This record gives sequence, structure tokens and C-alpha cells, in this order.
Amino acid sequence: MLLDPGMDLTLRPMKYPHFFDRFKDAIKNTWTVEEVDLHSDLADLARLSDAEKHLVSRLVAFFATGDTIVANNLVLNLYQHVNSPEGRLYLSRQLFEEAVHVQFYLNLLDTYVPDLDERAAAFAAVDNIPSIARKAEFCFKWIDSVFELRRLETREHRRAFLLNVICFAACIEGLFFYGAFAYVYFLRSRGVLQGLASGTNWVFRDESMHMAFAFDVVDQVRAEEPDLFDAEMERQVRDMLAEAVECEVQFAGDLLEQGVSGLSLGDMREYLQHVADRRLAALGIDPIYGSKNPFAFMELQDVQELSNFFERRVSAYQMGVSGSVGFDEDF
Amino acid sequence: MTLTPQKSGVPEQRRHVMQVRKRNGDLVPVDVNKIVKAVELWVADLDEVDPLRVATRTISGLYDGATTAELDKLSIQTAAELIGEEPQYSRLAARLLAAYVGKEVRGQGVESFSQSIRFAHGLGLIGDETAAFVARNARKLDDAVDPDGDRRFEYFGLRTVADRYLLRHPTGRVVVETPQYWLLRVACGLSRNANEAIGFYRLMSSLAYLPSSPTLFNSGTRHTQMSSCFLVDSPKDELDSIYERYHQVAKLSKFSGGIGIAWSRIRGRGALIRGTNGKSNGIVPFLKTLDAGVAAVNQGGRRKGAACVYLEPWHPDVEEFLELRDNTGEDSRRTHNLNLANWIPDEFMRRVEADAEWSLIDPSDAPELPDLFGEAFDEAYRGAEKKAVKTIKARDLYGRMMRTLAQTGNGWMTFKDRSNALSNQTGEPGNTIHLSNLCTEILEVNSDDETAVCNLGSINLGAHVGADGVDWVRLRETVRTAVVFLDRVIDINYYPSAQAAASNPRWRPVGLGLMGLQDAFFRLRLPFDSAEARELSTRVQEEILLTALEVSADLAANHGAHPAYAQTRAAKGDLHPDLWNAPISQPDRWNALRTRIAGHGLRNSLLVAIAPTATIASIAGAYECIEPQVSNLFKRETMSGEFLQINTYLVRELKSRNLWTAGIRERIKRAEGSVQGITELPEDVRQLFRTAWELPQRALIDLAAARAPFIDQSQSLNLFMAAPTIGKLSSMYLHAWKAGLKTTYYLRSRPATRIQQATVSLIPELTPAETCSLENPESCEACQ
Repeated sequence: MLLDPGMDLTLRPMKYPHFFDRFKDAIKNTWTVEEVDLHSDLADLARLSDAEKHLVSRLVAFFATGDTIVANNLVLNLYQHVNSPEGRLYLSRQLFEEAVHVQFYLNLLDTYVPDLDERAAAFAAVDNIPSIARKAEFCFKWIDSVFELRRLETREHRRAFLLNVICFAACIEGLFFYGAFAYVYFLRSRGVLQGLASGTNWVFRDESMHMAFAFDVVDQVRAEEPDLFDAEMERQVRDMLAEAVECEVQFAGDLLEQGVSGLSLGDMREYLQHVADRRLAALGIDPIYGSKNPFAFMELQDVQELSNFFERRVSAYQMGVSGSVGFDEDF
Repeated sequence: MTLTPQKSGVPEQRRHVMQVRKRNGDLVPVDVNKIVKAVELWVADLDEVDPLRVATRTISGLYDGATTAELDKLSIQTAAELIGEEPQYSRLAARLLAAYVGKEVRGQGVESFSQSIRFAHGLGLIGDETAAFVARNARKLDDAVDPDGDRRFEYFGLRTVADRYLLRHPTGRVVVETPQYWLLRVACGLSRNANEAIGFYRLMSSLAYLPSSPTLFNSGTRHTQMSSCFLVDSPKDELDSIYERYHQVAKLSKFSGGIGIAWSRIRGRGALIRGTNGKSNGIVPFLKTLDAGVAAVNQGGRRKGAACVYLEPWHPDVEEFLELRDNTGEDSRRTHNLNLANWIPDEFMRRVEADAEWSLIDPSDAPELPDLFGEAFDEAYRGAEKKAVKTIKARDLYGRMMRTLAQTGNGWMTFKDRSNALSNQTGEPGNTIHLSNLCTEILEVNSDDETAVCNLGSINLGAHVGADGVDWVRLRETVRTAVVFLDRVIDINYYPSAQAAASNPRWRPVGLGLMGLQDAFFRLRLPFDSAEARELSTRVQEEILLTALEVSADLAANHGAHPAYAQTRAAKGDLHPDLWNAPISQPDRWNALRTRIAGHGLRNSLLVAIAPTATIASIAGAYECIEPQVSNLFKRETMSGEFLQINTYLVRELKSRNLWTAGIRERIKRAEGSVQGITELPEDVRQLFRTAWELPQRALIDLAAARAPFIDQSQSLNLFMAAPTIGKLSSMYLHAWKAGLKTTYYLRSRPATRIQQATVSLIPELTPAETCSLENPESCEACQ
């Protein structure tokens, strides 16, 4: 079974080919930080209102550490316990992607925040910005909850591990990051910070896969060990998401403190609740809030993009093309 | 910690009455009725619009203490966000925006067109001649402004105009002209008398024709650079020439021109440099410098410069060239801003087909190759093969080209021999087309001291089509007006480089294009790949070329033929369709035209080119050039932000069948804009509304080949393949070559996976049809 302790090394016969498919798909999405052009963002930053500047500075401060925390959990917890070589292939790939994200946000902060003291402060956000520290605490709590576990021997161990996986997929990548993306896409829908948006678009594409893989893992474990999922587990997951929503709403309160037209705190809460309900639905759990998405600019993320190539780098191309030259194929 | 999810500690914004700050600084409570009234002013003919909905949603997004200007902007944005549910909101948002812009203009004391010109002239934005012209004809021109003109815009079009085309106060950054003043200003910049200006203004204001962006940006201003395209010959194989080209490219870029530049004359890596007895590092380091130079030039603050480098496939560095856009590898050997194109002689394609060897030859060993085409090239190439630097299999190189296309969309396939053999400008030896331009639709001769130039404009075909078909009389009228003004640009234009100024008056080429072909097909209910569609597109193209030649012959009768006319094929009696041996449908007009040309020649060596029309199609609310729709529902990302685009023809169809419901909308969204799964629609309707991804690409190529005899330059032909493989691509491009196309443009493909959709409901169980996804073909066994 997937959570049996150990380091399975045998790829054939392959037990979980859908993990391997995810690994292959992820490779096709390869992008590099050098492809993201931030130069027009600097002009935009100068034009933003004070309220928007505050929003952006808080947001990038969150980004400065968010992916590093995820990467740490990946190495310290997931890689250890997901006992499938093909699953670990995906996790290795995910780790690479997290590293690229970290590099992207490093580059972003270096570009956005020229003053060295301010830059240091932004990178230290987990320590000195309360709204970010609160989110970090939440993450650490769930990393620590399984940190001591070397082997998942008991039912309780496995349940603790599952909660960790669900926390990172549903709450951190699935809610904290989705919250952050909403701010970026709000700005993009207003035509500013295209560089941030295009990099974030690629990050978002990766994160969508990470979350999907983690939910695959949860589904797989549930199929193999259905008794791990009981009413108590469901209650814990609901509480966890509710707490994550609270963390993110207080972060939103900080970001939107000075008032940003088109992005009210009420709408933001509604959006976060809506996202949380979706994560619960993906886990087969009833919604807590019954909220609807109030943000039309998020609906725009769900439709195919067509960039005017003069203005944007098109992010749609694929890596890893296969086949050989031939002349009689259909097209 | 106890968790009580429904309650939160953060104060609710909507609990107390929200206030807005008026322009005079007073705080007043937000009044929903006031917003409703403001919206109601604009909805008389928009029966599906709900003003209360716009008002309440606007307030929901507002914060306490926002300004009334923020409130106005938010209401525009809010209306725009409802377009996905009801396309009429696009009109509403456009009208609210027009009102906002009008207020801004009047806020500076500008009440009429002539005042806006006087005001902008005072700010140093308008050229003296245009200012004097408008002053002389002030009353007549002021009366010509159509007060309802702005009602023809969709939101995305008007937003683009407002953000990028209207002249702004140099320091205050507020706009100083309304959209209608802008179009009239463009017309005045190109006119000799008021009637001419008014006629041209009316044509543009009707959105039936628009000149290209540089003309729309700069006509009537102090910097009248109105050409879109520049084709720069390869630098000579020496350092001074290379650096001269950097300088020239920078100057051309500065005034919003797109650059094509060949690089085939520069020696490859490892070739000897006699002056220093060293070895060359090849073309890549020089292209890296070009890349940085292009990125550094800022075109009026709105976009970076853009260039495409053309290389012939016998060049020894061609393999490194094909990797320039890869996103992995050593960054010093990558050019992230340059576009790449292959300039391919037929000999290469023949060897690919025959699975033969291909020689890479250093240009320092065969400097004549870039100037030769057809049999002369074949002979010289075969002769030079004994000096080959390297021999590879032609198919291996072709495969690498396909890989580059699949991975980057770049590395466009353009065909040197067809481009030259079927050009009016290559009637005499020594005149060679060395490359195409940034968008692969311009094919003009150039040389070391002549940089080819082209100014463009596009007819909105959809505006010339009713339920019964094409309004041929109106189309002819549009072409007549358009060609006169395209020709006019040549004389008024400011040329940023001496080489450009040397070429354009001699050849006087223009590029009259087309947009909204897909609109025409939708209106007439013709599937893109039908025989009727192909016939219609071909006949439209014939009409355009024929009329354009007639106008050019008239211009020649009045002003004389262009100076290089004697060197053209037309001077020998060969018109473009003759070069193709293409059947024509209006023999009498063609014959009359021949007689006229025999008498006075032509004013323009080239007349027709189909450009991509990305931005002007947005302004006109038309589908781009000759392209099929990419999706029934998609978003555009531009510097103005993101915009939902919905197929209004489909919406009308669905409404007429009572199928325009939230459920169907969600299914279309989940299918990424495809309606093939909407089985409530009959098969023929689904066929009509296929997207570019769902059409056979063979049909796109065949349509292009059928109209090509009536395009004396070329066409920007994008091809679409959701999940390209080397096999499919190599088959497709071989067909494109055999069909006789001169050029192709981007290969569009789709990401391997996508962002999880955030707003469509989760489906717990996928039906088999839905798991067969275009995005994940390798996991899909149903298709294999």
C-alpha cells in the first residue's frame, strides 16, 4: 500500500501509472525565471496608489517564504512517506518546481525592492509582519505534527500524515496561494504588473498540478484504506480549512487595509470561503459556507488565453515533443 | 482554539453606510439609485442589460471613502465583467467608458474637434501642417464628427483605443481627444482637403476599414512615422556593417516599426577571420547583442521593440540558431526577445522529401548564395557543397525545425524561391527578396543600402457582408479609398533611416489586408473548411487585388508610375495572378486593367498583404485577419488588462434555441470554448462553430493557397495544433510548401496542463467523453 513504510525501488510493474503521467505532464510545463520579463512592472509600481503599493508589498513578502515552506514539507514529510518510486518521481519534479518558484520570487523581490534594508525586511516577513507570521504558524503546526514520524506504523500515524497532506494541498497551496493569486490577477485585470502576472500564471499552473497530485495521493490512500476516513477525520479537515480561511481573511484585512477599489474585504472573504468549499468538495466533504465566487476576474482565469504576441510572451508552448519526421500524418 | 467558521473578527465593511468622496472633496453616502440612473442613460436599445445588477455589484466592490472617479471606473469594469453572461454588457461598458473619456476631454476645456487639435498642438503633440489644415476647415470638420460614432465600439475595442491610441497630455496624462476626434485627426493628417478628410474619417468611423497602428498612432502628429514594417538586409560579413545594422534597427524600432532582418551573410562559428588570424564565434553572440538592443528600445512607452531574424538553412550555425528561443541551456546563447524564421530554398525541401544529405556552407566561402534564388541558387549551392563545413541529413535538420516550432511556436517556415519567383519586384536580375518581415506577410526586395518599408491597412470584411452575401459595391468603394490613403502615406511618411528613405519612394509598395473573414463566414453560415468558404475567400481576394490595381493604375495616370516600375514583372505584362496561372472570375475587368497599365504603369509595385491585425481587429470588434476563431470563449491579455471575448454569433444561435443558460455556459467554459460537446445543438451548427483547434489544418492551408494568387505579397498564416508531434508537423509543413505558400507564421499549440479552473463547478465523475482531453493526449487511449 502507498503508505506502507519503506523505500520501494521497483518501477516495473508500475503500481501507480497515473503518478507517472503527472510526472511526464509536469516536465512539459518547464519554464525558467529568465523568461519572465519584469521590466514593465517597475513603471507600473511607480503609478500605483499607496493602498495598492501596500497590497503589493505585503503580497510579495508572503511569496518570499511561501514556496520555501512547501518545499520543506515536501522533503521532510511527503517524500519520506509516499512509498511509490513513480510518486517520488513526481515529488522530485515538484521539488524542482518549488525551487524555480522560490527563485522567481527572489528575483521579483530583488527587482521590486531596490532598498537593501526594505528588502531584508520583506524576506523576514514571517518574523515581523503579524498577518504573515500567523499564516506561517499555521503551516509549521502541521509540519511539526508529523515531523517526528519516521515510519507510518499505526492508523493514527497514517491519519496524521493524511492531515498533513491535506493541509498542504487544500489549505496552503489550495487556499493561501489561491488567495495570493487572486490579488495578482486582480492587478492584471486592471492592466498592471504584467511581469508578476505572467510568472504567477506559470506558478499557478504548477501549483494546480501539485494540488491535483496531492489529492490523487489522498484518493489512492482512501481507496486502499477506507477506514482511515471517518467522521472524526472529516471534522478535523473542516476545522483545519476553517482555520485556514480565518488566517487568510486576517491577511486580506491587512492587505486591503487602505481600501482598494474593486477588491473589497467582504468580496475577498466570500471568495476564500468559496475556494475552501471547493477543496472540501474535492475531498467529498460537505461545504461549510455555501459561498459563491464574487470575482469575475477569477473567471477569466478559466478560459483559454490568447496573447497579442507584441505584448506578451505566450505561455502555452510545450516542452518535450515526440515523434519523427514523416509525411503522411493527418493534420 | 475553537473555530466558529461563520463569524469573523474582522469588521464587516458593509455594516455602516458607505461613502464616496466627490471631486470637490465632500463625502457623500453611496446611492444605489444614482448609479442605476447613470447606467440607464445608456441602455435604451440594450434590452438584456440590468442596471440594478451593475449598480449593486459595483457597490459590493467599493471601499469606504473611495472617490467618485473610482466609482465611475469600477462601474465600467463591473459592466465589462458581465460580458460572459450577456454580450450586451460589452456595449454598455463601452458607452460608460466613452462617457468617462468625454468627461475627461471636456474637463480641459475642449468642446470640439478643432479645439482638441488646437489644444494638442499647443502641447506640442500635433504637427504644424495638420494644425493649420484643421484651423482652415474648422467648422466643416467639427460638423462632420459623428455624435453616435462611439456606439459602434465594443468594450475591448474602445478600452484599447482609450488606453493606447488617444493623445494624452504630456504631464497630466489625461486624454485630450475623444475616439471620434482621434479618427478625424488621423484622416486630416493624410488629406489634402476637407471633403477627402471627412470621407476617410467616415470610412474609419464605420469600422469598415482601419489603417495599421503606426498610422493610427502617428498621423497628424509631429512624428509622422506611419509604416508598420521594415525589412533589413543581412549585414555584410564585417564588423562595421553589423554595428551599423544595430543602429538602424534601433532607429526603426523607436518609431513603432516591426523589423525583419536577415543574417545569412555573416560567417559561422569557427570560420577564419583574416584580419586577426582568429576564429569567428559565429552568429549567436551577435544575435544576443541584437536581442538586447531590441529589448532596450521602448516604443513610445507602450511596448518593447520587436524583430524577427531570418536565416537560410545552409548556414553553418543553423542548428544553434534553432535553439535561440529554448528556455533551457546557456543563457548567453539564448535570445528571449527575437523571433526566428527559416528562409528556405526549395532545394532543401526537395532533399527532405528525398531523404538526402544537406550541406552546411559558410557564407564566406559562398557569398553569392543569399542573392540567388531558383535554378541559379540550386546551381551555386551544389557547386559550393564541396566546400561544405558539415554535412547532415536534410530530414534531421527539418526535424529540428519542427521541434523548435512545437516548443516555441517560433522558427517560422518561409519559402525563399516561391517568394521570389512570384513577386512583381523581381523582374530583373539583381533584385532579390532576402527575407520577409516580423509577421511574414511582407515580401519586398532590399539590399545593403535599401531597407524595404511597408505601410498597411485592413478591410473589415464582416462589415461588408449582409445576410445575402458580400456587398461587392461597398467592398470596391472601401478598397478605392483605402489604396489612395495607403499610397498617400508614402509621401508624408517620416523615414527613420536613410536606407528606408532610399527604398520606399522607388517601389511605393503598400499592404492592403483583410480582417473579419471568420465574421463573414459566421454571417453566411459557412463552415471554415467548406468549398463555399474557400470560393468566397478567393473571390473576395480577387476583388481586392483587382480593385487595388485599378486604383494604382489611376494614380499612375495622374502622378506617374513608381520610379522602379520598369524593373517589375508588371512592366512586362505579367500581373500577379498570371505568375500563378490562376483562374480569374472577372476577365473583362482584368483585360481593361491590363490596357490601362500598359499605358501608364502602376503607382505601386505591390498592393496586397494580409497582416495579423491583432490590435486593429480588436478595435473594430472583428476576428483577426483570415483566421478562424480560436475559441468560442477566450480571454485576451493585453497591456490594458484582461478581456473576456465571447462568440456573439454563437450566443445569438443559442438564444434563438433557448439554450443560452448558465448550465450551457458552464459546459462551454469547461470545454475551453468548444461546443462540440453541446449535443443539444444540431451537428451542422456545431460544425459551423468549430475552433481553430478543431478544424483540419489542411483546410487552412488550402484556403490560403486558393487566395494566394490574389495576394501579391503574402499572408500571416498561423497554424494550430493542440498537441504537436514531429510527424504531424513535418507532414503539415511539407503540404504547405507543396501547396505553393510563400510563407507561414506561428505554430500555435496549447500548454501540456493547465491551471485548475477556479470557478466552474467540480464534477465528481468524468464521463468518458470528457476524459478524452486535448490537453492530455498521451494518457488518452481512446484516440490511439
